[in-house]
Amino acid sequence: MSNPSVKRGDIVLEARGITKRFPGVVANDRIDFEIRAGEIHAILGENGAGKTTLMKILFGLIQPDEGEIYVHGQKVALHSPLDAIHLGIGMVHQNRKLIPAHTVIENIILGHPKAGSVPDLTKTRGEIAELCDRYGFKIDLKAKVWQLSEGEKQAVEILKTLYRGARILILDEPTSALAPPETKKLLESIRIMTGDDLALVPFITHKLPIVLAISERVTVLRRGKVTARLRTTEATENSLAREMVGREVIFRLDHVEVERGRPILEVEGLSALNDKGVPALKGVSFSVHEGEVFGIAGVSGNGQQVLAEVLAGMRKATAGRVRIDGIDITRSGCLERWKHGMGYIPSDRIDTGSIGAYSLVDNVLLNYYFDGAFSNWGIVDSRKTRKLTEDLISEFGIATPGPETAARSLSGGNLQKLILARVLSRKPRLIIANLPTQGLDVGATEFVQNKLLEAKRQHAAILLISEDLDEVLSLSDRVAPIYEGEFMGVVPIKDARIEDIGAMMAGMRQKVAQP
Amino acid sequence: MKLGGYELKLEKKIRVSAWEATAISLLAILIGLALVGLIFLQAKVNPLTGYKAIFSYAFANKFGLPLTVNRSVFILLCTCAFIIPMKAGLWNIGMAGQLYGGALAAFGVALALGAKGSQTPTLAPGLIITLMMLAAILGGAVIGAIPGFLKGRFNTNEIVVTMMLNSIGFWLIAYGIKEGGPFMGGGGEGEGFKLAESVFPPKVLGGAFTIPLALGLAVLLYLLFARTTLGYQIKAFGQSPSAAKYAGISPQNVPLLVFILGGMIAGLAGYHYFAAVPGVYKIPLNYGDFGDLSFYGIICGLISQGNPVAAVPFALLFGGLTNGGRFVQGQLKLGYGIDYALLGVLMITLVAFQFFYRNSIVWKKMEREP
Repeated sequence: MSNPSVKRGDIVLEARGITKRFPGVVANDRIDFEIRAGEIHAILGENGAGKTTLMKILFGLIQPDEGEIYVHGQKVALHSPLDAIHLGIGMVHQNRKLIPAHTVIENIILGHPKAGSVPDLTKTRGEIAELCDRYGFKIDLKAKVWQLSEGEKQAVEILKTLYRGARILILDEPTSALAPPETKKLLESIRIMTGDDLALVPFITHKLPIVLAISERVTVLRRGKVTARLRTTEATENSLAREMVGREVIFRLDHVEVERGRPILEVEGLSALNDKGVPALKGVSFSVHEGEVFGIAGVSGNGQQVLAEVLAGMRKATAGRVRIDGIDITRSGCLERWKHGMGYIPSDRIDTGSIGAYSLVDNVLLNYYFDGAFSNWGIVDSRKTRKLTEDLISEFGIATPGPETAARSLSGGNLQKLILARVLSRKPRLIIANLPTQGLDVGATEFVQNKLLEAKRQHAAILLISEDLDEVLSLSDRVAPIYEGEFMGVVPIKDARIEDIGAMMAGMRQKVAQP
Repeated sequence: MKLGGYELKLEKKIRVSAWEATAISLLAILIGLALVGLIFLQAKVNPLTGYKAIFSYAFANKFGLPLTVNRSVFILLCTCAFIIPMKAGLWNIGMAGQLYGGALAAFGVALALGAKGSQTPTLAPGLIITLMMLAAILGGAVIGAIPGFLKGRFNTNEIVVTMMLNSIGFWLIAYGIKEGGPFMGGGGEGEGFKLAESVFPPKVLGGAFTIPLALGLAVLLYLLFARTTLGYQIKAFGQSPSAAKYAGISPQNVPLLVFILGGMIAGLAGYHYFAAVPGVYKIPLNYGDFGDLSFYGIICGLISQGNPVAAVPFALLFGGLTNGGRFVQGQLKLGYGIDYALLGVLMITLVAFQFFYRNSIVWKKMEREP
C-alpha cells in the first residue's frame, strides 16, 4: 500500500517537541516520541494529561503551536485529517462513527476514493473479505451495523482505515467498550497486524493490564509532559500507574467488612422496556441491604441501564415492585425517591448528571433545590448553597478555579467527583451507582471507589452497576451478572471466580443452585 | 483571512459582560440604521432628516410619545410571555392567540355585567375592572395551556400548536366583533363595542395603569429566574431535559406551567391595549395589527437573551420605530412599508451581531511557514 518498503523496526512516525497551548493550559509540552513499524506503542495517561490533544495533532484535527512531525523520515504538515490519511495514518475513534442502518461493506467504502459513484461491490467485497481473513476478523459483511456487537463495530472501524491504506493506526481506548472475550479477539487481530509491519498506537487511560499485555513500548503522559518512555518488559502495573498519577496507587482494595443490616432496596419481578419499546429488563428480583454493595456485572446493553433508570424513577416499570425501606415506590416519581433517601449517580454524567452551562453551585443545587434547608419561601438561599459547594470542592478535591465556574470546563474525573460529592452529601440510604468510574483515570477511579466504600461503612445500601469486572469483584459483597435483561445468578463474593462471572455475563446460567 | 503577516482569527468567548452586550447591541442598531439609510437615499430623502423625524415623533412629540409608550409596554408584555417558555427551551409563537383569548374573556365579562357602551353596569365599576383583568389573564392562560399540555403529555410541537391557535384566536375575534357577533359595536363598522365610561380603568400619571404594572412584572420575572427554586427548575429543564428529569423536575408539568404563565402575561397584553390604554377601550377594527406587533416580543426576547429587564429598552426602541416609521412614511411621502423595512433590517442586524456574544475577532501574528 502506501510504503511497502518499510521493514519491521523502521521508524515510521516521529514527533519532536510537540507543544500545544490552550487558554490557561499547556496541553502538550514538548512531547517527543517515535513509532516503529511492526510495533504497538501505547500512549498512556490520565484524563487531562494531553492524550486527546496529541491524538488530534497526529491525525491532523488540530495543529500544534510548536514542534515537528516526520513520517517515514520526511517532515510533514498535517493541516487536516485528509493529509494524515494520505500519509497512511488512520484513526479508530472511541465513539463509533458508523452509520447503523448501512451494511458493513457500505460503511467501509463510504467516502473511499476508489468507490466512485457506482461502487463495484463484488470486487470490493473480495478485497475486504481478504483483509478479514488475514487479520482474523469474523464479520458478516452484509450485516447492518446496528446488528453488530461493540467488538464487531470496532473491527469494522479498523477494517475501514485499513482498506483506505493506513499503515499507522491510532486507536482511541480500543478496549473500553468491549466484553472480555471480545477484548481477547481484538488483541489477537492486533498481534497479526503488527506481524504485517503495521504500527499501532493505542491511547489508553486505564486498563493497565491491557497495556502490558499488548504493547512493546509505552509513553506515559502526565499534565502534558512525557514522564516515562519504557519498554513494556521493563514496566509493571505499579510502575506505570506511578508514572501516570505521580504517586503510588493501590490496586487491590481491601474488602470492607460491614455488618449487613435490614434490606433497604427490595425489587420483585421488575420488568421494563428500552427506548425502542422492546423488553429490556425481564422480571428481575433482588434486595440490597444496609452496609452492602450489590454489584451488577454485565456487558453494556444487557438491561443494566434500563434497570438503573427504573430504580431512579426515570423510566416506567411494566411489571414488578420496588420498595425503599419498606415503602412501595414503584409508581413514585424521581423527586419522591430522592426524598425517600435514594441517591442516583447516572452513567451519563455530561447530559444527565450535570448541566454544562451551569456553575458548580447550580449543579449542586440539582439535588438540593427541593430541600427546605436550602431555600426560604421558594427563594434559593444562595449563601448556603455556595458554602455547601465550596465545602464539597475542598472535601472531594475537585480541581476548579471556583464554585462559579461552568461545569463543562471540568475534566471527566472532576465532574464525576462533583456528582458523587453532591449525591453522597445528601447521606442517601440507597446509592445507585451506574458506571461510576467509566472513562475515569486511575487516580479518579481509586477516589470514587474509596468514597463508595466509605458510604458503605456508614451503612448505606449500594447498588453498583459496572462493566469493569475487576471493579465489581473488588467492591461488591454479592455479584449478579446480567445478560439480556435477566440475572444469571447471584454470587456471594467469597464464591465468585472471575471465569465463572465472565461466563455468566456472556449468558451462562449459574450452575450451582443458590444457597 | 491573512493580511501581511497577520491572521484574522475567531476566538470563542467564555462569557460576555453587560457592557459588551450593550456595546454590541448599539453597534448593531447603528449599522441597521445605516443600511436603511440607503433606502432613504434611494427615495431621495436625507437619512438624517428621516431619522430625525422618526425619533422626534416617537420620543419627543406629545402625540407620538404616549403612542410609543403604549406600544412598547404591549411589546414588553409579549416579550415576557415569550421569555418564560424560552427559559424552558420552548417556543411560544402564540402570543397573538393568547392575547386575543385574553381580550375576548375581558370583554366577555364586560358584556355579561352590562358594562357595554351607554349601559349602567350591574356591579361596582372597581369590581368589574378587576374581574375584566383577571378574565384577560385567565383567557390567555387557557389558550396557553393547550400547547403546554400537549407538549408535556404527547411531546407535540409547540410551535405548530401555538401558530394554529393564533389563527383560531384571530377568527374567533372576527366572529365576535363583526356583523351580528355578540361583541359588535354600535356603528356596524366591524369594531367591537366600546366600554362604559364608568369602567375605564384608573390612570397613573395620565397613562394606562398597566404601564407600571408591566415594568414591575419584568422585574419580578427577572427575580423569578435569578433567585427562586421555581425559576431554577424551569431553567434546568430548558438547559437539559434529561438532567432535569434526573433531578426530579417533572417533564410533564414544566411545559404546562411555562405556557400557562406565558399565556397569562400575553392575556394581560391584550387587556392593556384594548381595555386600559386611554382612548381605545374596545377591540379595534385593526386588532390583527396587534397580533403582528406581538411577534416583536420574540425578537426582543431573543436579543435580550431572555432577560426581561434588558428587554425594556429594546421594547421601547421597537415600539418607537413602528410608531415613528409609520408617521414618517406619510409625512415624507415614502413608499409603503418603510417602517417594516426598518424594523426588519434592525432585527436582522441585531440577531446577526449576537454572533459576537460568543465569538470575538482577533488579529494574530502568523507563525512563519516552514
